[in-house]
Formats: sequence, C-alpha cells, structure tokens
Amino acid sequence: MRLQGVDVAVIGAGPAGMAAAIRAKEAGAQRVLLVERQEELGGLLHQCIHNGFGLLYFGEDLTGPEYAKRFIDRVYDLGVETLLETTVLEISPERGIRVINKGGLQSFRPKAVVLAMGCRERTRDQLGIPGGRPAGIFTAGTAQRLVNVEGLLPGRRVVILGSGDVGMIMARRLTLEGARVEAVVEILPYVGGLIRNEVQCLHDFDIPLLLEHTVTEVHGERHLEGVTVAKVDPHRRPIPGTEIQIECDTLLLSVGLIPENELSRRAGVELDPLTGGPTVDQWRETTVPGVFAGGNVLHVHDLVDNCSWEAELAAEGAVRFAKGERTEGREICLRPGRNVRYVVPQRIRGEGPVTLFLRVREMEEGMRVRVGDLWQKRFRVVKPSEQIKVELSPKDLRRLPDGVAEIRVECEVAG
Amino acid sequence: MAWLQTEVLIIGGGVLGAAVARELSRYRVEAALLEREPDLGWGSTKANMCIVCQGADALEFRPEYKRSRLVWESIPMMEPLCRELGVPFKRIGELTLIRNNEERAKYQKLKTRAEKVGFTGLRFVGRDELFAMEPHVSREAVGALYNPDIAVVDPVRLTIALAESARRNGVEVHLETEVLGIERSGEEFLVETNRGEVRCRFIVNAAGVYVDRVARFLNADEFVLYPVKGFIGILDKDLGHLVSHEIHMRPEAPGEMNIVVPSVYGNLFFGVVLRLGRKGDNSTTKEMADTALRNLRKVLPGVSEGDVIHTFAGFMMFRNWELGWHECVVEASRKVPRFVNVSIGYPGVSAAPATAKEVLRLLEKEGLRLQEDPSFEPRLEAPPSFVDLPPEEQQSLIERDPRYGHVVCRCETVTEGEIVEAIRRGANTLDGVKFRTRAGMGRCQGGYCTPRVIKILARELGIPETEVTKKGKGSELLPLRSKELLG
Repeated sequence: MRLQGVDVAVIGAGPAGMAAAIRAKEAGAQRVLLVERQEELGGLLHQCIHNGFGLLYFGEDLTGPEYAKRFIDRVYDLGVETLLETTVLEISPERGIRVINKGGLQSFRPKAVVLAMGCRERTRDQLGIPGGRPAGIFTAGTAQRLVNVEGLLPGRRVVILGSGDVGMIMARRLTLEGARVEAVVEILPYVGGLIRNEVQCLHDFDIPLLLEHTVTEVHGERHLEGVTVAKVDPHRRPIPGTEIQIECDTLLLSVGLIPENELSRRAGVELDPLTGGPTVDQWRETTVPGVFAGGNVLHVHDLVDNCSWEAELAAEGAVRFAKGERTEGREICLRPGRNVRYVVPQRIRGEGPVTLFLRVREMEEGMRVRVGDLWQKRFRVVKPSEQIKVELSPKDLRRLPDGVAEIRVECEVAG
Repeated sequence: MAWLQTEVLIIGGGVLGAAVARELSRYRVEAALLEREPDLGWGSTKANMCIVCQGADALEFRPEYKRSRLVWESIPMMEPLCRELGVPFKRIGELTLIRNNEERAKYQKLKTRAEKVGFTGLRFVGRDELFAMEPHVSREAVGALYNPDIAVVDPVRLTIALAESARRNGVEVHLETEVLGIERSGEEFLVETNRGEVRCRFIVNAAGVYVDRVARFLNADEFVLYPVKGFIGILDKDLGHLVSHEIHMRPEAPGEMNIVVPSVYGNLFFGVVLRLGRKGDNSTTKEMADTALRNLRKVLPGVSEGDVIHTFAGFMMFRNWELGWHECVVEASRKVPRFVNVSIGYPGVSAAPATAKEVLRLLEKEGLRLQEDPSFEPRLEAPPSFVDLPPEEQQSLIERDPRYGHVVCRCETVTEGEIVEAIRRGANTLDGVKFRTRAGMGRCQGGYCTPRVIKILARELGIPETEVTKKGKGSELLPLRSKELLG
C-alpha cells in the first residue's frame, strides 16, 4: 500500500480509532489510514461479549462485537484504508510514522495523526503483592480474551482482586462457565466499577464481595494454591490479625487501567500525570502540532460510547489541521480543584464548544461540581468510578472575562 | 540397561554446569549434562542482578581465597566468551558511593588491597565528577570509588549459549531430568533419574541450591551450605536513564546489599535484600520488598513503588553466612573419588569461566584424560534479536521470514520469528520463551503477549493449548476448555 499522501492516520482500531477514522472521512479528509496491530478491526470489543455497549451512542443495548460490527461496516463503506497486523514502532515529533508488518518496514508522514492506542492493565507487580511466581495469575482483561476469544479457562476456583468493570464482568463470566468465584476483593469501601455491573454481575450471581479487603500474599510455586486476604484500615493498610486464607487456583487482577502512551512519549507529547494520557485542548490536540488523541489513550473512560465520541472530536480536529486550519486565540488552563482528580481537556484555545470529562478523587454525598463560573450542577453523590461529562457552549465561553488564564474545576459541598 | 552411559556426568544446568560442559566439549571426552527444569539457568542463575564483578564483598581482591581468585580470573575471560557465543555483554563500570570519612577509609583499604595484587584500575572520583557521571544519584554522596571493569551480561542467555555450544561440540544435554539417587559400583557411578539409569565414571555436581542434597547421596557433602534468599526488583525502562553505571552504596544492615544497576536491556535492577530461607520457597515478602525500595530511594531519591515492574527472589548457597562473607565449594570430594562439587554461591555468573577451568583441573587430577578435540568450534550464532538490528537487516529478515514482521510483545518489541526460533532451540514453556526472547518482560508483564505466546507454543510444539505451561509440569496456564466445567 502506498502510504505517502495520507491526510489522517489513526493509530489503533478499537472503539476510539474506528470512530475517529470514520469521522475523519465524513469530515472531508481524502485519505484516512487506520493502523491496527491485530488481525481484525475492533480491538478489545471482540472479547467483550457482554451487553451494555451503545446505549449512549446508538440508543441500543449491544454486545461488544455488535458494537464493533457497526463501526467496522462503516469503516469499509466509507473507504477508510486499513493496515492490519501492523505495529507502529515509532512516531516522531514531526509526525513521521514507522510501521512494521509481514511485508516489512515502512515510513510515512501523514498530515495529521489521531492516537487511539487505548489502555493496558495494571499488573501484580505494580501493586507489589508478595509471594511466589506461580501460574494462575492473570489480569482480568487478559483472562477475558483467553476465555471469550480463545475458549480456554484458567481454573476452577477463582479470586478476583479489584472490582473494576472487567473484574466484575469476569466474575460473572467465569461463574457462567462453571468455575467458582470465591470472592471479589476490593480495597475501597465501594466497588470500583459501575453500579450496574455490581448488581448484574455480582449480586445477581451471589458472588461474595469483600469491601475494604486486599490480597496480601499469593501462595504456590508452580501453580497458584491460594491467597491471603486481609481487611484494610482507612489508610488502606492491611490490619494484622485479620488475614484469611482462600484456596484458589486462579487470581484475576482488575486493579486499574493505564493509558498506553509509549508511542506518544517518544513523539514528545506532554503527558498529564493525573490521567496518564496526553494533555490536550478541546479539539484533543496534544502538545505536538497535528497529533490528536481520543478514547482510553487520553484518559480511561467508563463507557465505550464515550471513547468513540471523544475520538470523533479528535478526528474533527485532525481534519481541520490537515486542511491547514489553525486555531488561534489565547490559551486558558483548566485546573482540578477540590476533590477533582483530573479534567480533560487540560486547556482551551479559542472558541468553544468544549466537552470536558472529569473524575473525582473520593466518594462524597450532596455535592456541587463547578467549572469556574461557567457551569455548575448538583450531584446527590459523586464517585471516582463515575466520570462526569460537561458540555460548554461557545456562548458559555464568551462569558469569560478578558485576561482569564485559568479556570478551576471544583467539587464542593452543595449549600 | 542404562538409559545413558557417559564418561563425565554434569548434574545441574545452571551457569556453572553449562560452563563446565562447554569447557569439557573442547576435549575428546564423553560428557552429558542433566537439568531437572524444562530449560537452562532457572535456578540461582536467573535470580540474578546480571553483574560481572569482582565479588564486591569482604573477600574482594584476596587471592588467598579460592572464590576471590576464581571471580577475579574470570573477569578478563567474560567479554571474549560472550562475544564468541553471541551473548549480550556491556562494560558499564561501578561507582561505590562515599558519604563520609569512615566510608572513604574503608574503600581506601579496598583500593590498596587491589593494587597490592596488581589491580590498578580503581580510582576515586570527587563530588563534581561523580555528579557529572551520575546526575541523579543521592546528593548525600561526596564522591565514589570508581571501578571501570564492572560489566553486565544476560546470565540466562549466557547459560543457554554455553550449553548450546557444548551440545554442538558433542556434550549431551538432557532437560527435565532429575537425579533421584546415586550409587557406586566399582569404577562406575549408577545415577538414578526420572528417565532411567545413568552410568558414568566422573560426576560434576553443580546442582546449585541442591548441591548438598546431591552430594549427600554418596556422603560426599563435606561442607555445610546455607540457603540464602535474595530479593531483587526491576524498574520500568523509562527510568533506565537514571543511572548508567552500577551504583553501590554501603548497606545499612547486614544481610543487605544496596545496588542499582542498568541491565544489558536498559532496565534498572535494584536490591539485594538477603535472608536465610527455606529452599524451594522462592516467594518474596513485603518486608524484603519494603527494605529494597527503602534502600533504592537512598541511592535514587525520586523513585516510587509504581516504577517497579517486577520483583523476584532466588537462592544462593553461602558457606558461612553467619560471618558475613563466604568461601565457595569447588573441590573434589575427599571421600568419593572422581566426584567434584561445584558451588560458587555468589557471584556465580562472574566466576563461571575460571571455575569451569578449575573443575577440569580437578577432574584431571582425579584421573580424567583430556585430549584436545581439534574439531571444537568455539563460535555460536546467536538467535536474532530483532529490535537491536539496523533497519536494513530487519527488512531482510522479514523478507526471509515474514514472521519477523509480526510484533508479539509490544513492550520489548519481540517478533513471532524470534519466538519460533527460541522454541526451535529448546524453549517449551512460557517462561522459557520469556527468558530467551524477553517477550513478557516489559511493563505490561505479559498482559498483551501471553495469549499470543501460548498459541504459538501450542502450534510449534504440536500440543493442545491446555497443556502449555508457565514453567513445566504442574504449572499449566489454561488447563480447561471453556464449557468443560459445565459437563
């Protein structure tokens, strides 16, 4: 395939990348190239055989593969060019892209780039769980692929550490497969994922949920034989004397997702330590001109629909950039304030509209979330597991007084 | 009938056993090596900081001790050996940090001792030079003792290459073969293994952590060894730039070494926390992890828990643990003729080249006749490491075999071609592929590549995926098919 003369190159063909490629084409880009390392388009959606996708985007309740199919069809209908089984080795600060596949190595320089590499899972070592190095320990997402795509099961008796969405969904999946889920162990006083998953995946299947507990040791040299679980204090430290032993042959970890920005970093893109993703403006343009980002590579979303939606925003920015349009205007920083873990975008440039996502640090009740003096809303309860989406109109932005350099985003006690 | 008949039997496929095998393969001698694990170098050899050093302890530069001499004689041999065998080797130098006058005096003594035995490479560097060399190390340091000779290798790849070279030069190598007992019968040893009986005239016992157990079969355990567990951590490659030399800081407590060292692949290793342990229990503990991290932060203040991508523990055998220093066992048994015990304990990798030669001297004394084999081929072609090749070589490799164009491990950029080659050369487990190719050693710790490597292993070995193991029998990764439990 001739790679010279590409207008917009999208890296990664998951829910974000496919949506970005489609929107780039719709927005008038001549040549859009979608680069994917796997054999087919769709990314992780293929292993997400449960439902709950598309409620926002299509107004329908779809499974992962069904959600993927709609995008895949559109990608091919619109004539997006695809490069499958192709790994991007490097993106240079000048947008030079080096790829590898079974045909060899190739380099090209598109007019604009959309990063849509998604995220990866936190590992056992990042939690520092001591013990042996036996077989039987997997991250929940890896196990999900093994079970749902490869048709293989890791074991019969399972403990799941972390109540992220993938963890809870795998608790249900493995129960349906005939395995026994001994417990889902969560260090926080509340589940890490969506309430709907707590209800549909744990409660409905009578799977024990141990809140304010953690795994303090794994046992077994060759194969996992069990784990030690202990209660934790309010500082999340295990309380001595509370340890219980649970026999199991499988431990799944659902303890957080990390935006995958190896390529971004080497391209010189500035990353936000709060999100793990690039810092961007409202068009999701990174600090490297012409390089945009959307979906989980930017910050980890609760819902796939929002990944797709945000990546479309990035694609629109990329098309404008490819056409030579540049955003002028002063830059205003959005800064997280009280009980706000992060805000995306991190800066606004020029005219609106602006869609921002934020997450709180701690669960609190009776709160008001405020974006400077531009927007506010009351929440009965705010939770770290539930992202808050805020739409600011161009009119809202015009209300900003001249000379404002920073807007603080706060989560305050509602008066 | 014996399953195997040979002149010299080497028990143990760690770095020492493999080095002895390779040394023997220079001669016209029948020899065989037995390893109980599915691959080579899985004991103390892999639980290692990968440093080629002079001992870095109280015995350093004391030629009256055998271990000190073996380590020291090995240093100049290591680089040519690695070059011959195509094993990664990098000379990085060592900086031992000095924080006060007491430390300065201590290291002055070491330097004097080194000079006395003709080792003139050590020199002191001042504060400015130190921070020019290593801008990120603790500002507590006022200077350092610099040893330019220190290097790093990949110990497992070295072991595999040594054994492979030995095999190509005529030594039999048998994996998953465990010695269960040994008896003497006239001039022969009868060795019972899980595969059958081995008959041999000479035994080199290089069974690593189990060197004493093997010796005990014949009451040839004329030494007491203590199993000491060492904890080591690995930092993310993104922090690889923080130091470029091996950094050594004087430990706070006995049973600790405070070392930070860049590996040949660009990760930083840190540790070692040493504790007496129970053999076979390679588990890490929170106490060891916390201690190692606390020590690390003394050298590199900015590092946090989240930067650690992997931790592990392994054993080394110490002869006199309670004294804080130890001597090795490289000696022919006084009770049992033609039986040589080999245990360096620490630093086994560094001492391996000279130890192998010493073992051959001992075997000769015990009556083994060594006649050089003119057909000995010292060179071994290393398996291609795709990521290290220049683009034009990468391109021609893909043209020869398109599987080199398929990246399986994204963190370390390992291709399917390399994994297939590793399996062809003997890897038959997930860990085997990992240690030979680095697939799964990056920051996602196999999250992405594990399902893919399992598939490739099953395909190449011609076994069902349910039989693929992490590290041999009993460590099946995915023992069941979906729906199998539903009856």
